[in-house]
Amino acid sequence: MKKILKRIYMILILFLLYAPIATLIVLSFNSSKSRAKWGGFTLDWYSSLFQNNEIMEAFYTTLLVALLAAAIATLIGTLAAIGIHAMGKKARTIFTGITNIPMLNSEIVMGVSLMLLFIILRIRLGFSTILLAHITFDIPYVILNVLPKMKQTDRNVYEAALDLGATPFYAFRKTILPDIMPGISSGFLLSFTMSLDDFVITYFTKGPGVDTLSTKIYSEVRKGIKPEIYALSTILFVSVMLLLLLINLAPSKESPKELEKDSRYLAKTGHRRIFTRHMVIGRLVPGLLIVVLAAGGIYYGGKTTAAGQNQVIVYNWGEYIDPDVLTQFEEETGIHVIYEEYETNEIMYPKIKAGAVAYDCVCPSDYMIQKMIDNDLLQKIDFDNVPNIKNIGEIYEKASQAFDPTNEYSIPYCWGTMGILYNTKMVDEPVTSWKILWDSKYKDSILMQDSVRDAFCVALKYLGYSANTTNMQELQEAKDLLIAQKPLVQAYVIDQVRDKMIGNEAALGVIYSGEAIYTARENPDLAYVVPDEGSNVWFDSWVIPKNAPHKENAEKFLNFLCRPDIALKNFEYITYSTPNVAAQQLIEDPDIRDSQVAFPDDATLERCETYSYLGADAEEIYNDLWNEVKSS
Amino acid sequence: MKNKLIDLVNITKSYDGVTILDDLNLYIRENEFLTLLGPSGCGKTTTLRIMGGFEHPDSGKVLFDGKDITELPPNKRQLNTVFQKYALFPHMSVAENIAFGLKIRNKPQAYINDKIRYALKLVNMDGAENRYPASLSGGQQQRVAIARAIVNEPKVLLLDEPLGALDLKLRQDMQYELMRLKNELGITFVYVTHDQEEALTMSDTIVVMNQGYIQQVGTPEDIYNEPQNAFVADFIGDSNILDGRMIQDKLVEILGVKFPCVDTGFGENRPVDVVIRPEDVELVKPEDGQLTGRVTSLIFKGVHYEMEVRANGFDWLVHSTRLQEVGSEVGITVDPFNIQIMNKPESTDEEAVPVGE
Repeated sequence: MKKILKRIYMILILFLLYAPIATLIVLSFNSSKSRAKWGGFTLDWYSSLFQNNEIMEAFYTTLLVALLAAAIATLIGTLAAIGIHAMGKKARTIFTGITNIPMLNSEIVMGVSLMLLFIILRIRLGFSTILLAHITFDIPYVILNVLPKMKQTDRNVYEAALDLGATPFYAFRKTILPDIMPGISSGFLLSFTMSLDDFVITYFTKGPGVDTLSTKIYSEVRKGIKPEIYALSTILFVSVMLLLLLINLAPSKESPKELEKDSRYLAKTGHRRIFTRHMVIGRLVPGLLIVVLAAGGIYYGGKTTAAGQNQVIVYNWGEYIDPDVLTQFEEETGIHVIYEEYETNEIMYPKIKAGAVAYDCVCPSDYMIQKMIDNDLLQKIDFDNVPNIKNIGEIYEKASQAFDPTNEYSIPYCWGTMGILYNTKMVDEPVTSWKILWDSKYKDSILMQDSVRDAFCVALKYLGYSANTTNMQELQEAKDLLIAQKPLVQAYVIDQVRDKMIGNEAALGVIYSGEAIYTARENPDLAYVVPDEGSNVWFDSWVIPKNAPHKENAEKFLNFLCRPDIALKNFEYITYSTPNVAAQQLIEDPDIRDSQVAFPDDATLERCETYSYLGADAEEIYNDLWNEVKSS
Repeated sequence: MKNKLIDLVNITKSYDGVTILDDLNLYIRENEFLTLLGPSGCGKTTTLRIMGGFEHPDSGKVLFDGKDITELPPNKRQLNTVFQKYALFPHMSVAENIAFGLKIRNKPQAYINDKIRYALKLVNMDGAENRYPASLSGGQQQRVAIARAIVNEPKVLLLDEPLGALDLKLRQDMQYELMRLKNELGITFVYVTHDQEEALTMSDTIVVMNQGYIQQVGTPEDIYNEPQNAFVADFIGDSNILDGRMIQDKLVEILGVKFPCVDTGFGENRPVDVVIRPEDVELVKPEDGQLTGRVTSLIFKGVHYEMEVRANGFDWLVHSTRLQEVGSEVGITVDPFNIQIMNKPESTDEEAVPVGE
């Protein structure tokens, strides 16, 4: 009975440990893309993995960084351990402590501080900074592995070698090195593994266009993890497993039994026996290292000579460009595009501000552009190089003046309005005013945006004030109004407005025009209107940062984006309104081309205003008031 | 007189502010078996390591055959060391261990093979070429370590407590082996040990050290029979060391009793240290003794009995082949030749007397 319990316990633990990996392996052979369904066995993901250049490149970078960092760290760390070992007791304790700290330190602190250091030293973030960072955090692991082995070495053995005429280096190689070799190789393997799966530090120290597997997978998560990643993870898991098995199953050279066998073999044949473990650590690993480095050198060398300095580094929102557009640009101009994505303005801003990475063009939102101009982070665009600017509608240029008063810094890329989406089956009356959101008839059928500026915009506009007001009295009024509205509101949400409205779960919802185009297609009963009191209009526009290294290429790229056929492609991919009038006319579907939702008339647009950057104090007031509303 | 092969001149060495050797002077003659003897921490190993080149003296010079080798690293010195814990190369076979030094000197393989066979034969380890150190016993490992050193034909072999880790029987066997080797090879041995018996057995010359100072240099007989101070007397064999007063030449008062002796020149009425070896204390009938006492303990030691006799307030250590029961009353006499008189040190500092040349 006890035996059975023991066995069950062990099986349970093994199950808990390996269930996730087993799931992953199974999914890598699943022909259905769905994670919940088994669609039959397939090797397609493996073959498409090897055809996916981006993943293979990231995989290669990961391997190269891990091998190089581990090798260099092993060298430095071993020398350090030898040095520390030779120190006096007090100094040794201090230094061991100092070298241990980076291991205990939080990774994010390490990542940020390394990034700051690189910026201060004016090292451009890229492959080399990732490598330097990895070497830095690998060294303590090597020291940790080598130092105890160093302590076990017999100083007399080293001295005996010297005594017999060996030079210090030869004596070290023949006596100490074989003794500490297990520590060195476990230090190397540990460093290699640490580098292989590091995410946080890599994320902070990487530059545009360079990705390791972890950062690549992270950026893929937004779009949903592809089954190729399962296949890749399976391959990684199996290779690590095989390596471990090889090392552990090989006979250890130190056991007396093996030594006896060894001497018998030596007596019989005059040759030493060759050990599997020695083969793996002594031959296989360095061999692999050399092969990968050579291949990588040729690969990278080829790539950089092809691209050379003729490149443009683009920093854009996720899913905010048609990938074909990038390929087409590269083909037409021969300029290599290095493309990076961000999720929010607030993630993008500090990167530009710190100057850690020099981007050629970035696509921030209106208020952020204002902030960047105020902080002198942008340079004027030379519009002589962007003749296609003529395709951008004048009304949008004018609206942009709210955040770029002279129209010298930005080129509008996407825009939209905020308005009311309503279900024509549930709302009989014509919707023209924000007032309807305070109509008790629609109690529990109203959806509000769960966002401070959007919520206050609705109330302020209804009251006839500016959505950018900092007047305390006006804000108090708006707050009271929002509190009064609260009993009628079904929910304060962001993304769910779309789904709830499609599912006829609410009659009225505050929503952005880009979403409205999509919902109207899914549920023909839904209509979108920008109320007469006016609303918010937003812009995402291209700008060129002050430290852009390839300004001319950036202008070529922006000119390309302003070409009507390209703008149309992007509009169809992104579905947000394009300010490119020429592209608007190219839209084939008349329902969309003439849609008041996608392209409201100038009069509507003129009633709307963009959000301005209000400064930290005003932001705090807004947040405090919003908290009062939500907690009332 | 053979010439000086190694000459240590005014050597001083300290670690972390603690002085280990203070102005030490010592020479080793060619073909001599010299032993550095002393308790642990006396500086004997440091002295050896300075000769080997593993330690650098703070001041002073090391001369080898008249040439200054103080700055020469160990791999350039014409001497080889046998370490206390053998220090064999664990990853190499016995043959590879022995060939190590020869390979560095680029000797031809045939010569190396001959040497390996010769050296193994010399240390009675024929046929052990392909064994590994871990599969050898302590004594065998030590023999290999010695073989590894001597194949290089050094002028001097330095041995740092080479038998310290072996058991008694093996140690005694190895002592004879070493003496035989020394005679066959005809090279100089510098031997470090804390075992006075080992030193007495093997050496031509013994250097007794304590607290970084040389206490006495001499032949084993000199050291044993004529210790120059209480430390040497105490360290070399068991001794009865007593406070005495020199009444006049050839007469010393111990424990209130006047003993005739053979020493002269200590002045009159001077306090002195008196050394009497336990085997020189004769037990006689109470009425025949110079003083009388009672046996307080008795241990059978094989060749003799070891007894303690309390007489005149002092516990006398006595070695005798004749048994006296515990509690029995005995008389004690000492032959005048067996009474060793030494000057009392005037302060504790002087207890360690540097012996200059």
